[in-house]
Amino acid sequence: MRYLKEVLASRELLANLTLREIRGQYKRTIFGQLWSLVNPLASMLVYTLVFAFILRVEPEAGDPSGLDIFAVWLLCGLLPFAFFSNVVQQGMGSILGNVGLVQKVYFARIVLPLSKVGSVGYNWLFEMGVLVVVLVIFGAFVWPWLPLVVVTMVLLAIFAAGIALMLAVANVHFRDTQYFVSIIMQIWMYLTPIIYPISLVAVQSDKYGGLFGTSVTILDVYRINPLERFVAVFRQLLYDNRWPDPQDFLLCAIWALAAFTVGLWIFRRSEKGLAEAL
Amino acid sequence: MSEVAVSIEHVSKKFRLYHERNQSIKSAVMRGRRSVHEDFWALKDVGFEVPVGSTFGLIGSNGSGKSTLLKCLAKIYYPETGSITYNGKIAALLEVGSGFHPELSGRENIFLNGSILGMSKKEITAKFDEIVDFSGVEKFIDQPVKNYSSGMYVRLGFSVAINVNPDILVVDEVLAVGDTEFQAKCAQKFRDFKNQGRTVILVSHSMTSVREMCDSAAWLSHGELVKVGPADETIDAYLDSLPGASAA
Ligand SMILES: Nc1ncnc2c1ncn2[C@@H]1O[C@H](COP(=O)(O)OP(=O)(O)OP(=O)(O)O)[C@@H](O)[C@H]1O
Ligand SMILES: [Mg+2]
Repeated sequence: MRYLKEVLASRELLANLTLREIRGQYKRTIFGQLWSLVNPLASMLVYTLVFAFILRVEPEAGDPSGLDIFAVWLLCGLLPFAFFSNVVQQGMGSILGNVGLVQKVYFARIVLPLSKVGSVGYNWLFEMGVLVVVLVIFGAFVWPWLPLVVVTMVLLAIFAAGIALMLAVANVHFRDTQYFVSIIMQIWMYLTPIIYPISLVAVQSDKYGGLFGTSVTILDVYRINPLERFVAVFRQLLYDNRWPDPQDFLLCAIWALAAFTVGLWIFRRSEKGLAEAL
Repeated sequence: MSEVAVSIEHVSKKFRLYHERNQSIKSAVMRGRRSVHEDFWALKDVGFEVPVGSTFGLIGSNGSGKSTLLKCLAKIYYPETGSITYNGKIAALLEVGSGFHPELSGRENIFLNGSILGMSKKEITAKFDEIVDFSGVEKFIDQPVKNYSSGMYVRLGFSVAINVNPDILVVDEVLAVGDTEFQAKCAQKFRDFKNQGRTVILVSHSMTSVREMCDSAAWLSHGELVKVGPADETIDAYLDSLPGASAA
């Protein structure tokens, strides 16, 4: 409780640090904020070329929206994943990146990783805004679903924050954590149905049936991945324009709370030793 | 004796000196998760009290544990044993300008630094002119701080910190960078602080300024408290202990 109060008392600092990140980020660049669009756009072009044009991956058309554009379908999953991956990687480096502050000033350390959630989230909001415009141009009726999209975005942010908190502590003690994580993030992306539809996994899974004589299928294992649920919900809302599957949505919420609780607990326990360990 | 602002009781602080440190997972696994280290006590059972409204000096040779003690006061390190109790709001100035963002302007950095030190936006806005005035960098306030000279950096950082208006201000030897004019300004500010009944704890290697500013002082040597008492007596004892003692 006292900890919560302290964190709450630092919200102005959190806001200021987030602003510092956002303002510092594109200072003295000509295109400024537009740069945050360049990365997802480049990935979108490459993936579309390789997976839609060469490998002929064909996700189902949006139901009921009727959208059938690979690039747009891709972005509905790619943007949330990129946000997650950036928050985790930048958040986990935030303590090490602010050695000067941590060793010289007392403040609630948790604002450092959280400010990364804020600054990366700001870029993400911008990207998602552009995505919504694109969806509208192609005839999707997204407006009614936007409030739920925002709720899901918040859930994903909480989930990412939890993971970032755990790893930020690990990274102080073992500096190679960040290299591991950047590899894991690449693998994780391919293990999530972002550039291919989950139906392809389902087909393979049916072929093999239950694993090791049990009724557990490959698909069941595959769907343990929390990001799969998040991507599914984002697609249902943005691309299909329908109510999200209640089970998917509930699991998103549970994963978010669980990750954040564990992350916070770990961070709190090791917070006091951080200045020395640096 | 009057009221006590800070009471330090039996504080000991241990550091681990690593001979072979596991900072990568590989080495941790290979060595079976054991780092090779030995314990080093940077502070050993230090205890004294700082009365409210006094200016308190902390002296001792390099590596004697002064900064470590200040960091314990500032809650950056946590002592292994002992306790520190405060009577009022504490602010620490261990290094000026930590937390400045080089690309941001002086103005933006005042707000950022102020909030790191725990001020609200309203407080900073109210004090903004005073801060800029004290720092004497008005002309450059909208320039990015990376273009500041190191003295200007210190001035701005110190001005922000001093305007936090804590009941207890803890200062590590940061003022040495400022020019004579600024040092005089700071000395005056410390006197004002004292007159307002606030407490200052400072570390300095300049015995002249400690003698001038402080009422009492503590002398640390190799992590142990050697002497605490009126500034003059402590300083003399410290100087006498030095080889070739005479100068000051
Ligand atoms: N994080 C740390 N890890 C290991 N040892 C440390 C750490 N911080 C300080 N020490 C050790 O503690 C001792 C006291 O250091 P401290 O910085 O308190 O000295 P000091 O009195 O401030 O000296 P100076 O006058 O040079 O500033 C030193 O021997 C130093 O090596
Ligand atoms: Mg020192």
